[in-house]
Amino acid sequence: MEQLLQIFLFIVTIAVAYALGSIVESEHYVSIEKREKDCLSLPVVTSYKIEEKDNILEARLVYGSVVISVDYFKRFLAVLRNFTGGRLTAYESLLDRGRREAILRMKKKAQELKADIVLNMRFETFPIGGLSSAQPGASNCFEILAYGTAVRLKS
Amino acid sequence: MKYIPKAITENVNVTKVNHLQEFFVLIGGILGSFIIIYLVLGLTLDKVIEKMPAKLERTFSNLFSQAYGFKKTLPIQEQAAQNLLDQLVERISPKDPSGYAVHIVKEPVVNAVALPGGNIVLFSGLMEQVKSENELSMVLAHELGHFAHRDHLRGLGRGAVLVLLSSMFLGMDNSLTNFLMNILVTADLKHSREQEMMADQFALDLVQERYGHVGGAIDFFERLREKEKLPHFLAFFATHPHQDDRVHLLNQRIKNKGYTVGEIIAFHFTEEEKK
Repeated sequence: MEQLLQIFLFIVTIAVAYALGSIVESEHYVSIEKREKDCLSLPVVTSYKIEEKDNILEARLVYGSVVISVDYFKRFLAVLRNFTGGRLTAYESLLDRGRREAILRMKKKAQELKADIVLNMRFETFPIGGLSSAQPGASNCFEILAYGTAVRLKS
Repeated sequence: MKYIPKAITENVNVTKVNHLQEFFVLIGGILGSFIIIYLVLGLTLDKVIEKMPAKLERTFSNLFSQAYGFKKTLPIQEQAAQNLLDQLVERISPKDPSGYAVHIVKEPVVNAVALPGGNIVLFSGLMEQVKSENELSMVLAHELGHFAHRDHLRGLGRGAVLVLLSSMFLGMDNSLTNFLMNILVTADLKHSREQEMMADQFALDLVQERYGHVGGAIDFFERLREKEKLPHFLAFFATHPHQDDRVHLLNQRIKNKGYTVGEIIAFHFTEEEKK
């Protein structure tokens, strides 16, 4: 009886997590794509030199950070995948969303500074919280930081 | 250098997979291999236990029985039950009638347990319910059936396999291990119910042999049935068979074997004796 209840609760939790996770993810992607289109005119590059180096008016550090967590369904899927090994596709969209969101936030900051370009853009990814004691090293929650140098040119 | 803004439409960083499908494939595969390991180990143990010499079993069982430390709480009832048991044991192993002992434990549980070392534990809750000697003999014979089929050792063996499996995979993730163990335990309950039914049949034959009839043998289960409110579909998740099925199967055997119902010997203790 007790086992039945536990199995039932587990299935319900997984199903609810799957439904909610899918909705949240697709809404996030819609928002990301819209905002990416809106700030397309601001270039972000990984090189740290520009041709117009005598033309620089101002250079400032800009960064965008996001903390993002995976839903319970994908977490469980990742646990299963960890057992067999292979590509952890469940976490791919999580990190993709995180990186794009971090760039968007960084770009927003650069736009506020009226920057013409962001140079030397870099990513940092930190696992935070949600560490499972049974599985050291595995994390369900990440901070993704995108940073670069916003440059304003003489017009 | 001129910058031409261009949106990237395709995403190479996210694999287009159906996560739900991946989930079912993975859980099916892992659960399947778990069940195979469990069945293979379980069946191997079953075979080993069947072939285990009685002497080795005794030595093994003594290790367990020493750990219980039974107290004589209800000496009069215990002696009465022991007498009934001895008479039953005489029918199955006349050479060694002293191998089994009854212990009564003061607990308001209507249950009896067969423990390694030939120990049968009757809970006082069950003793309250028993109305005739024939009923108690049936209960004792049922537990003897477990001994005869070596179910008490099987239970331990399967328990050991479960512990082994869970400790092997516990490092993986608690939620996953719990989930898998729950499914395994539920799946194994069918096995447990089959053992109970086998013990019932054994008990019925033994009671017939002892008294020459099966009067009163089913009464106890009949009374349990009236009390049991468990819906039939939940029977899949129970360790013991549904009382309806139990009574039905026993009645069927009585009919097939042509057992008769004779006089029932009343079984009754005064309040003094119950202390």
